[in-house]
Amino acid sequence: MTTRRLFRAIAVAGGLTLVPSVASAHHSFAAEWDSTKCREFTGTLKKLDWQNPHPYFFVDVKEPGGKVEEWSFQAYSPVTLRRNGTDRQVFLDNINKEVWIRGCLSKTGKAHAAAAGTLKFADGVLRQVGQLQD
Amino acid sequence: MATRLSRWLKPALYGGMILCLAGGLSSHVFGQTQSNSPKKYEINLLPPGGPTPRLPDGHPDFSGHWFPNGAGQGVSGRFGVDPAATRQFDPKVTPEERPAFQQWALEKIKSMTPTELELSKSSVNCMPRGLPAIWLQNPYTTYIMHKPGVMAQLYEVLNNWRLIHLDGRPLPKNPEPFFHGNSAARWDGDTLVVESIGFDDRTYVQPNGWFHSDQLRVTERYTRPSMNYLIVEIMVEDPKVLQKPWKSAPRRWTLGNGEMYEFYCTNNLELVELEKLRQQELKDPKK
Repeated sequence: MTTRRLFRAIAVAGGLTLVPSVASAHHSFAAEWDSTKCREFTGTLKKLDWQNPHPYFFVDVKEPGGKVEEWSFQAYSPVTLRRNGTDRQVFLDNINKEVWIRGCLSKTGKAHAAAAGTLKFADGVLRQVGQLQD
Repeated sequence: MATRLSRWLKPALYGGMILCLAGGLSSHVFGQTQSNSPKKYEINLLPPGGPTPRLPDGHPDFSGHWFPNGAGQGVSGRFGVDPAATRQFDPKVTPEERPAFQQWALEKIKSMTPTELELSKSSVNCMPRGLPAIWLQNPYTTYIMHKPGVMAQLYEVLNNWRLIHLDGRPLPKNPEPFFHGNSAARWDGDTLVVESIGFDDRTYVQPNGWFHSDQLRVTERYTRPSMNYLIVEIMVEDPKVLQKPWKSAPRRWTLGNGEMYEFYCTNNLELVELEKLRQQELKDPKK
């Protein structure tokens, strides 16, 4: 069972109790990001740019062929991340460690840029760090 | 459809069995607690709390750190939140009417492309939300400091602020256009009524293209029926844009204890990407 299927199983079985709360829909995700082009990424967290309105974190992603490429990921605002328990220090504590992300690609076709929805650091805890897209 | 359903049902059944087993086991090991039914949510609706706090002059005191939901804490991206605690009002109980736009205004709004609409949002372009949007489209907190002569509203988003004077001063005759308008306040029993005119024309009433004219007049009605609840009702009058005044539902903000954070918008990369999409739309309007 893939991580995505496992997450679905837990979410569906638990009903709404385990589904993360939806962020206020002040942004239209679909305006900038392509929900038909979402995928999973695994790599090493290398850098964090913690600014408003969105922090960006940078990951060296291992592509299937073995090539490593740097991707940038957009997340919720710093305020929202602090309040849901994924604050700046959590990211800093995981620099140079493995991270798993599910995110969607930019509609402009910008290379190696995605909006992160969920992620897991080395502790295995599933965290919502951006709008869920698919 | 069948495949799609089975894709969801199978994991639901497996997961359900796991939860049932876990629930049964825990009740045997730990015994029954307060209720026979397991706690459904981790984050629930904040109860009303004690009586309305009051200022020395007897009026309700609206001071507090107010969250734009029913939980009194952040709910975005958190697990186990009661849906009732994520919203400011229940549309089934207090439905909010749709604005009745003048025909020309409706056509103007409909002519906006998806990217234009997105670029118009203060949450995207980092412009101040202004009034009344600060009460209608703000997912961040507001800190109110209230004294008998003045109410200071400190908005977390973009570090904005506003002072509402409670000394009976009238509305200005020639108001300067401000994002939060020019306000005059009066008490109607335990309700603070604030009327405002003179708005910067770059603000939107709601993030759906609802623009306003120079005739915009906003009336806010504030009540605090209990310690933990602040109710804000908005009326929008704008005869150039609306066929009739629009009234919001009574929107509940809840008292929280957490910190308020700095929020300067210093790295807005979204504008760059959205502008690229806008240029694509201009080249190919059909897309």
